Amino acid sequence: MNMEPIVKRFYTSLEEGKMMGRKCKRCGVVEFPPVIACNGCSCTDMEWVEISGKATMFDFVLPGVMSTRPDNEFLQPYCYGCVELEEGAKFNAIVCGVTKKTKKDIVPRLPVPIKARIVQKDGYKTVVFDLVKE
Amino acid sequence: MVKLGKYSRSVSIIGVGCTPFMNFLDNPATEGLSEGEVFGYAALAAMEDAGVEAKDVDFYFHTQANPYMGSDYITPNMQVADWFGMRGKGSAHHSEACCSGYLALDLAVNAVASGKFDVVLSGCVDLADSLPVANMPAHMRRKFSFEEFIVSTKLIYDRAYSRPLAAGPMIAFDDVAAWYTHAYGLTDEKMDDILNAAAINNRRNAAKCPLAINRTEFKDLAKENGFDDVMAFMRSPFNPKLSEYLRISGFETKCDGAAAVIVCPTEMAKDFKGTPIEVLGIGNAAFEGSQAHLEMRGTEEAVRQAYEVTGLTPSDIDLFYANDFIITSHLIAAEIAGYLPKGEGWKYIMDGRTAYDGDRPINTNGGRASFGHAHAASGMADIFEAVQQMRGLCGERQVKKLPKHTMLRGFGGGQNLAAIILGALN
Repeated sequence: MNMEPIVKRFYTSLEEGKMMGRKCKRCGVVEFPPVIACNGCSCTDMEWVEISGKATMFDFVLPGVMSTRPDNEFLQPYCYGCVELEEGAKFNAIVCGVTKKTKKDIVPRLPVPIKARIVQKDGYKTVVFDLVKE
Repeated sequence: MVKLGKYSRSVSIIGVGCTPFMNFLDNPATEGLSEGEVFGYAALAAMEDAGVEAKDVDFYFHTQANPYMGSDYITPNMQVADWFGMRGKGSAHHSEACCSGYLALDLAVNAVASGKFDVVLSGCVDLADSLPVANMPAHMRRKFSFEEFIVSTKLIYDRAYSRPLAAGPMIAFDDVAAWYTHAYGLTDEKMDDILNAAAINNRRNAAKCPLAINRTEFKDLAKENGFDDVMAFMRSPFNPKLSEYLRISGFETKCDGAAAVIVCPTEMAKDFKGTPIEVLGIGNAAFEGSQAHLEMRGTEEAVRQAYEVTGLTPSDIDLFYANDFIITSHLIAAEIAGYLPKGEGWKYIMDGRTAYDGDRPINTNGGRASFGHAHAASGMADIFEAVQQMRGLCGERQVKKLPKHTMLRGFGGGQNLAAIILGALN
């Protein structure tokens, strides 16, 4: 049995400046963040692929009193976005550059283009997104 | 796509029990209650309702959202049996956090429908307002800070990706409110009024429910604080925003409580005291917390399964419950279930039609903000309320039309979803 540590490779790759997902060889779905099996067709034959970082934000909410974490202060201003990579994966992520003031301009333009960025947290690197000027 | 099979034999609820939802430490009459006792009182109330004794019950399920933190236990089903006379009987513990109370019924029904057992009890408990005092007997509990509570809530989210990506646990408060506002072209101010109206309706229900923790209507709180207009009060700093859309009036009130149910084959149900209510079907779904719009996607799937297996349609549903620890949930769940028309449900809420005396009642016990939220126990408290409504036993908060079919939408635990359909027997 090949039991590759997938979570470890994801975070090791971030240290090397690469955002890695896994593409299903049967149906082509890209899982990001990466997992063992394809959630599109159940196939387990997956290959590692580097994602481009190009994405769109199709919905978002702004942080409030109870939905703000001190360890994310360095990312302000930001929102919590529903994100879709150009490779197709959809998930929730932090999207930087959105404020209460700019919200009203962004909402009518949804989905808006965004770009992934690797950031350093306390002890590990993770992925956030930035608004791309259209 | 999951297609549910029919139960091998029909199963009905024959007994329900529910404690008051309150903060036990704050009342001298309840201060010192341990989780085993509280579970036991709810279980015994369900037995009394059904007209059975512990010797008649074959097996029980136990749920508690986080027994390690909340009770210093990891197998809490083992610690409660003696409290209600079931020493030596088989049991199992499960936990799906705030969805536990719904899956507690699901597990009990499956255990009977399979033919393995005839009479099964399923109980749910959480003392969510206190924590055990380390190394002391079970009657000694202490209050805890919001900071301690927050430590535990992250435990329902994936450690590999959701927590490091840092959005899933935070977006949950407003995900649906933002989507609904954008999708239907509402203003943020209109959405604020809708959620405030939902809280007002819930509180009107709780005001008539003796087991609820918050029973003072918002119009009376407004007057006490110098407001003639209740909506002006709801928009004021007396009702602060916790996140972009959610105000404190629409957020769960954490508290203590327990509830239990007893089920048996429908063909045996007439032999017992309690008016039986049939469990017609239960749909399930689950999405990890970083999945976009997971509550809507999971509700769609669970509801689809429940309608498909029962052959019912939205027009058959007379009464609706939804776990609304974030109050937007009861709007979106009711719309997805077809209980309220899509994109129009907010008008029903604004007009008060979803209160107990309206034509589309929702959460007649008051919902999580007003009835209270004892995490694992709350879903079962909703089942207790639904059964009592279907029996016509809810007194001044009895809905106008005796419900023939009730749907309950469960949600919780980072995140599980369920859709239960109960039916009155002819």
